[in-house]
Amino acid sequence: MQDLTDNALMLKVKNGDLDKLGLLYERHKKRLFGFFYNLGNNPSVSEDLVQNVFMRILKYRKSYIGEGSFTAWMFRMARNVNYDYHKKASKENISTGVSPEEVKADTEDHINDEIEKKGNNILLKQALAKLPEEKRELLILSKYRELKFSEIAKIIGCTENAAKVRVHRALKDLKTIFTQLEIA
Amino acid sequence: MNKEKFETQSMDYMSGAMSADEKRDFEKFLDGNPEYANQFDELASTWKMINALEAPEPSPEMDESFFGLLSNEVEKTNKKNGWEILIEGFFMIFKPQLVYSILLLGIGLGLGYYMNSSNDTNAINNIVSNEETENVRQKLVLTLLEQPSANQRLQGVSEANKFENVDEMVIKALLQTLNKDSNVNVRLAAIESLTNYVDKPLVRQGLVKSIPNQESPILQVTLANLMVALQEKASIEPFKQLLKEKQLDTTVQKKIENSIESII
Repeated sequence: MQDLTDNALMLKVKNGDLDKLGLLYERHKKRLFGFFYNLGNNPSVSEDLVQNVFMRILKYRKSYIGEGSFTAWMFRMARNVNYDYHKKASKENISTGVSPEEVKADTEDHINDEIEKKGNNILLKQALAKLPEEKRELLILSKYRELKFSEIAKIIGCTENAAKVRVHRALKDLKTIFTQLEIA
Repeated sequence: MNKEKFETQSMDYMSGAMSADEKRDFEKFLDGNPEYANQFDELASTWKMINALEAPEPSPEMDESFFGLLSNEVEKTNKKNGWEILIEGFFMIFKPQLVYSILLLGIGLGLGYYMNSSNDTNAINNIVSNEETENVRQKLVLTLLEQPSANQRLQGVSEANKFENVDEMVIKALLQTLNKDSNVNVRLAAIESLTNYVDKPLVRQGLVKSIPNQESPILQVTLANLMVALQEKASIEPFKQLLKEKQLDTTVQKKIENSIESII
């Protein structure tokens, strides 16, 4: 089974067995899609970004040395892909994500069949959209159980303790925004 | 517990990174500090919401276009597989060897040129060693000519034939042999040896001067022949003196008279 770990598969891709990237894609596509989606990108942009990540992995496969987890390496790329995309989009003045207003409109459309949980979910999305990009990213990353805080720290480039403190404070900020939205 | 410690510990607690003991301690701390407990509750509820955050399923189109892109990439690299990879591989494998072989070739060429150019010095060396052998030979000749054995003196004279550029000392030694050696054969050999250097004035003068000193008819005849061959006019006087002063063999006498005439 050792042959089928992310690390082993990626090393195979590195050595020219490109087909193995398909397996990695199947394994991580959903999580990556969720990452981009929850960061506030709309579904079709999120799908494009997932592809960009894998194309980038292919392009930079030689730089993979197999130290640390593949997931952390992948998310580091995903972060860069997201960053590059938004930089380019803001230059071209394209609306990329789902703005809080849009989400609100969405809420009103389905107001009748809303259950509380779903309502909370939408409010949460609005709150997330209001959080600064950095914090939003951090919260989405910490949502993935496979990523330990040490790995998150590697992805964003800080110490493990600093990562915990940052996630904690991001959660707090989110809660504040969420409460404000609830009252409004 | 300070604020930062609370922040990190609560994250550890929520993410399940704590051991059972640590968990118990943290819970005890919360029980004793309602303010922190409140904060933690809020945090935990937000954390829960974040974890419950769902995303829709990505569409099948994403898979389609991804695998399309992937197979394109695979094809591209496979095309490259032919010559390019072979050549790349060749260079990858043989890079150091290639450098070394070029280096070796360079060293070889350099050495070749060096050896070629040092041929001149070889020539000089040859000249030097030739000079050395000449010197040794000269000493050998001089020593051999002083030996009591006629045989060895003969050997010395024949050694003297081998010089390319004969030294004055050797010529004088040969002339002395010609004039004073007790053995006729040695004297004859000395004449023969001196014949090689007749272009030197010293040799001619010596030969002419030695004419009156010769007693042996063979030597007298040989000298007469040589003088005719050289057309040495200075030899006439010594020959006339020889005719007057010595009781010569009739054949020799006639020969000398003929010679004098042919020289004049």
